[in-house]
Amino acid sequence: MSIKLEHVSYVYMPGTPYEKEALKDVSLEIKKGEFVAVIGHTGSGKSTLVQNLNGLLHPSKGKASLDGTDLSGKTQEAKQARGRIGMVFQYPEHQLFAETVYEDVAFGPRNLGLGSDETDARVKEAMKFVGLDFETYAQRSPFSLSGGQMRRVAIAGVVAMNPDYLILDEPSAGLDPGSRRAVFAEIMALYKKRGIAIIMVTHSMEDAAKYAKRMLVINKGQIILDGRPGEIFLKEKNRLLEVGMDVPEVYKLADALRAKGLRLPNEITDAKLLLAEVKRRKGLK
Amino acid sequence: MEPVIETQGLKHIYIDADNNQVTALDGIDLQIMPGEFVAVIGANGSGKSTLARHFNALLLPTEGSVKVHGLDTLDENNLWRIRQDTGMVFQNPDNQIVAAIVEEDVAFGPENIGVPTEELRKRVEDALQAVDMLDYREHAPHLLSGGQKQRVAIAGTLALGSNCIVLDEPTAMLDPKGRKEILDTMHKLNREQHITVVYITHFMTEALLADRVIVMSKGKIEFQGTPKEVFSRVDELEKLGLEAPLSAKFAFELRKSGAKLPPGIITNEELAAALA
Amino acid sequence: MLDITLGQYYPGNSFIHRLDPRTKILSTLLLIVAVFLANAAIGYAVLCAMVLFIILLSGLPFMLVLKSVKPLLFIIVLTLVLHAVMGQGEHVLYQWKFIKVTEEGLQLGVQMAMRLILLLMISSILTFTTSPIVLTDGIEALLRPFRIIGVPAHELAMMMTIALRFIPTLMEETDRIIKAQTARGADFSGGNLLVRAKNMLPILVPLFISAFRRADDLAVAMEARCYRGGEGRTRMHQLAYRSGDVMAFVFAFAMIGLLAFLRWGPKLV
Repeated sequence: MSIKLEHVSYVYMPGTPYEKEALKDVSLEIKKGEFVAVIGHTGSGKSTLVQNLNGLLHPSKGKASLDGTDLSGKTQEAKQARGRIGMVFQYPEHQLFAETVYEDVAFGPRNLGLGSDETDARVKEAMKFVGLDFETYAQRSPFSLSGGQMRRVAIAGVVAMNPDYLILDEPSAGLDPGSRRAVFAEIMALYKKRGIAIIMVTHSMEDAAKYAKRMLVINKGQIILDGRPGEIFLKEKNRLLEVGMDVPEVYKLADALRAKGLRLPNEITDAKLLLAEVKRRKGLK
Repeated sequence: MEPVIETQGLKHIYIDADNNQVTALDGIDLQIMPGEFVAVIGANGSGKSTLARHFNALLLPTEGSVKVHGLDTLDENNLWRIRQDTGMVFQNPDNQIVAAIVEEDVAFGPENIGVPTEELRKRVEDALQAVDMLDYREHAPHLLSGGQKQRVAIAGTLALGSNCIVLDEPTAMLDPKGRKEILDTMHKLNREQHITVVYITHFMTEALLADRVIVMSKGKIEFQGTPKEVFSRVDELEKLGLEAPLSAKFAFELRKSGAKLPPGIITNEELAAALA
Repeated sequence: MLDITLGQYYPGNSFIHRLDPRTKILSTLLLIVAVFLANAAIGYAVLCAMVLFIILLSGLPFMLVLKSVKPLLFIIVLTLVLHAVMGQGEHVLYQWKFIKVTEEGLQLGVQMAMRLILLLMISSILTFTTSPIVLTDGIEALLRPFRIIGVPAHELAMMMTIALRFIPTLMEETDRIIKAQTARGADFSGGNLLVRAKNMLPILVPLFISAFRRADDLAVAMEARCYRGGEGRTRMHQLAYRSGDVMAFVFAFAMIGLLAFLRWGPKLV
């Protein structure tokens, strides 16, 4: 079970003065159950990449497929395959349209052709996942909610489609630290419970380090690094800085401590580990 | 010295869509002095954006008063003077650019107040120079990066002659590179041109270099002080949905485990030095 | 990232770019009159040469200007076909049952299509070489005398400026919303007109909400920058006629004269 890109290139507005090659010969496989972070600066091609991954954009060259089914096809089979890959865009609350939260979340399941009982069950489950109480919110207008709540409704709308692969473009953009933590807790719960694949575009090195098991670094339309976040942050710091990325704060803190003579193991990938190590070295409990 | 902005018992009450009375600001007493760089932090809905709009007379007090350079915002005769002196930069870079060419957008403010053509050109050029966007003067704004658009918006306030700039979450929609551009630009303007800066953000790291940090919650000032004072209150920040820097959190935890550390650790280097 | 070029400024510093906007607007009107004067192949040939000459002077890529025809391509082709099959005339080129294509009809169709293409290209040169704000300044200046009879010149001009500024932004937004709803399995193609209209709601509602939010933000931002209508406003770019403008007017009137001569004057051949 996997999404595959084989030698995919993508060109915007071909044959015009604005022609731009946003992806160059990219090959990639993402298996079900993976948690992949995609990082790269604005204009690096990461948005184009994920839109090719779920069939919203069709490769100019090469092939994008899900379990062998070409995602750019017009067949029923291709349509079904695209339905298995959900996508939450940046600021997804800007795509809400229905009169009630229920109707908005039910939009996707209904488009899949599900009956009203099945739809009902999906809506309830999805709202639970994003922490919105059904009784309280189902019949309210999504536009009367706070920004953070609207974001949750929008994410629920995609979750309700029961995707096997879920793409999230900057899911925490514009949220304060508290709401960020809440949204990520819900995403992680979804990931662990359903065993789906999560592909998350992010500007935050912290989030990539904290949640992802695999990280893709995109620069100028190509994947320049692909591996475990811990390993990349440890070994490729200079390369990351070169392409305008950064390393998470915990790596910087560890470096600062090492510079002052504190002996620390190399493999420090999260704050808890570092804190425990510092305590041990300093003889604290 | 006269404060640039002074609020006394400022209350802002409005009626929301469900007909409830909402108190967005609940008795704010605040003075911002010339040349200060003040960061305002708080969770979504804490009232920080509402407060910003009072500094520019875009909102008027329900109770209490706001004075900008000693001028009361409730007096309509002061309106245009206040808006010239205190420039505003908003969150969404796309929704505050009026013109389809960079320099024409920067000129929009001074054109409104009737600055003569010759002086206007100079002001626009100086303003673009100050934010390092002179090379882009003839570009179309919708093709610029988010950070560049926000710098154009900052230039717009400079060209208006503002000596105080209020920025309402200017980096919320930007990538890390854009965020750094804006923060660096504001510190440079503060340092070199003595512009008073009120910088509203929910990125705690952006407040580290401010002269003063004001923490807001539920329409009130929860506490304030230097970054060292504010960010050392690790658990209080957490409760408000905010986050202290990693080094401050470490210092907090280590102290709990019995380590003797000096107060006010908020950077990695300070922590490393204290532990060495 | 969208394939629409209409109403887009293409920055440059050519002779055409530097002309006073009033000159460009008035000359565009004059050239449109000239287009309507053409009634024979020679006239259209002259006009095509003229458009080519202006494009060369403006430094715009030819394809860019040609693409401005695209949004109306369907109407142009329809005009051509309708005239070709409906036209009266002696010389039948092709006949199938009661449909017949005559040489005269075809000629008329080609003329009409040419007329539309030339009109679109001429007016798009105006918008490509004039930044929206300058264009608006020009319109405002030209409308100013009509203020006496209650034409709100400044307000109209400001509305147009903002509309032009936000076209690309709203196009991008539309693209994003369509993609987001497509990703949720929305189908915008099938069904009768009523079903289709209903299917558009998931696009239109967010688009309108977003447009209103933007309008709201923009109004606040304009107010914060001391906007209070046209009263007492100055301009960074003062409009002033220069020698180039005189040349442009002479050129535009010469074109009218030439086309009028070709139409009504003694036949040359």
